[in-house]
Amino acid sequence: MASLFKRIKLKLLNLIPLFLLFFIALDGSSVIDFKFFSINIHFILVYFWVLKQPRTLGYGYIFISGIITDVVFGLPIGVSALTLLIIAAIATYVRLVSVNISLVTDWISFIPALIIANLIYFISLFFLNYSVDYLYLLKNSVFTFISYPVLWLFFNALISLGMGKLHA
Amino acid sequence: METSREDIGIAIRSAFLSKGTQQKFSLLALILLSIVLLFVETIEIKPLNYLRSFLKDSIYRGSIAVSLPSKALKSVMFTVENHMNIYKQNIELRKNNALLKEKIYDPSFLILENEQLRKLLVDQETSSNNMISSRVMIDKKSPYLNSFVINGGRNKKIKNGMIALDGKYFVGRIVDVNFFSSRVLLITDLNSRIPVVIEPKGYHAIMAGNGTPNPILEYLPKNHNIKAGNKVFTSGKEGIFSPGIPIGKIKMVSEQIFLSLFSDINQITFININLENIKKQKK
Repeated sequence: MASLFKRIKLKLLNLIPLFLLFFIALDGSSVIDFKFFSINIHFILVYFWVLKQPRTLGYGYIFISGIITDVVFGLPIGVSALTLLIIAAIATYVRLVSVNISLVTDWISFIPALIIANLIYFISLFFLNYSVDYLYLLKNSVFTFISYPVLWLFFNALISLGMGKLHA
Repeated sequence: METSREDIGIAIRSAFLSKGTQQKFSLLALILLSIVLLFVETIEIKPLNYLRSFLKDSIYRGSIAVSLPSKALKSVMFTVENHMNIYKQNIELRKNNALLKEKIYDPSFLILENEQLRKLLVDQETSSNNMISSRVMIDKKSPYLNSFVINGGRNKKIKNGMIALDGKYFVGRIVDVNFFSSRVLLITDLNSRIPVVIEPKGYHAIMAGNGTPNPILEYLPKNHNIKAGNKVFTSGKEGIFSPGIPIGKIKMVSEQIFLSLFSDINQITFININLENIKKQKK
């Protein structure tokens, strides 16, 4: 019985990233704007979990959450899905070529992921005749990069609660 | 050297092509699907439009349900903030009241404004029967698109390009119509360009959204004499929008011209849609 409860608890813990992925997509809070800050939580969430525990976030789910984000924000369908998949691709690549994963290595490898994803975002919107605020895009990228360690610590705390043991 | 290049190649191939454990799709397949969807977005055919409408309507409903807690929290925060600002607002209102009282006793200004407005309204017939009201369902503004979703679509005979009003003030236009919902592109959006006229002199310009609550004016005449407080209306040029709809007033910030909107775009609950087509009005 105790083992069953433990298993259910672990299963629920493992569903947290997926729940967060769809919640922020449907709620329209994938990009959080404070007065001067602007953070793309979606990027951090996808990058972290694909890098650390790819089993918790399937590529299909990432794709669907991107489509939902596009619809909620009124963007051309496929733009966010494409950028999130690019983030996932870079995270997968980094996972495959890295031996030691630490906050610093994760953080540094997040830079090319952000640059490439935002570049693709910009190109897609440019070709579909959508105006883009370049300054905002830059600000968003910088603050997303800066806030990565905070969410990294939070997600790592989730992992240390027992996530991943289900698959082990 | 060759070995490291091979390793990179293998890692890239593995990242993009292999499905990995518990993955049902490869990354490359999904990336290609996203690109295809982006191309499909540019195609306008009826079956695709219906499919898009159905998808968007369903997601909007889901989004409303999911965003209920955050909406409630926002509402509580707004109430608290309002209570905190009551003293400040009272002082400001007293000042405004004094100013308005002064203006009431300035009939020349009102006569001139009345004349200008009458000229603008010559070929415009307004009828309350042509207006419908819709509730704002989702007002999550994307960083790249200032818009919101209303709960009326083709079912309420809403069409692309129709004017969206907050009360009698111009706030945007319809850019995407589904079965039961539509998207209003706000005048503050980067993609928004509206022909306007600035009273009392009647200068023509283009109001351009800049992503902030204060849009800017483009293509103004070189020797203009625009002052803070001058009112801005739709000009009706190009026959896209009805003329004479109030938008806002001029705000000068270090000699730069901005627009202070009459409507508080962050506080809109209902939108009025003018169902009348501008071309019909001219006939």
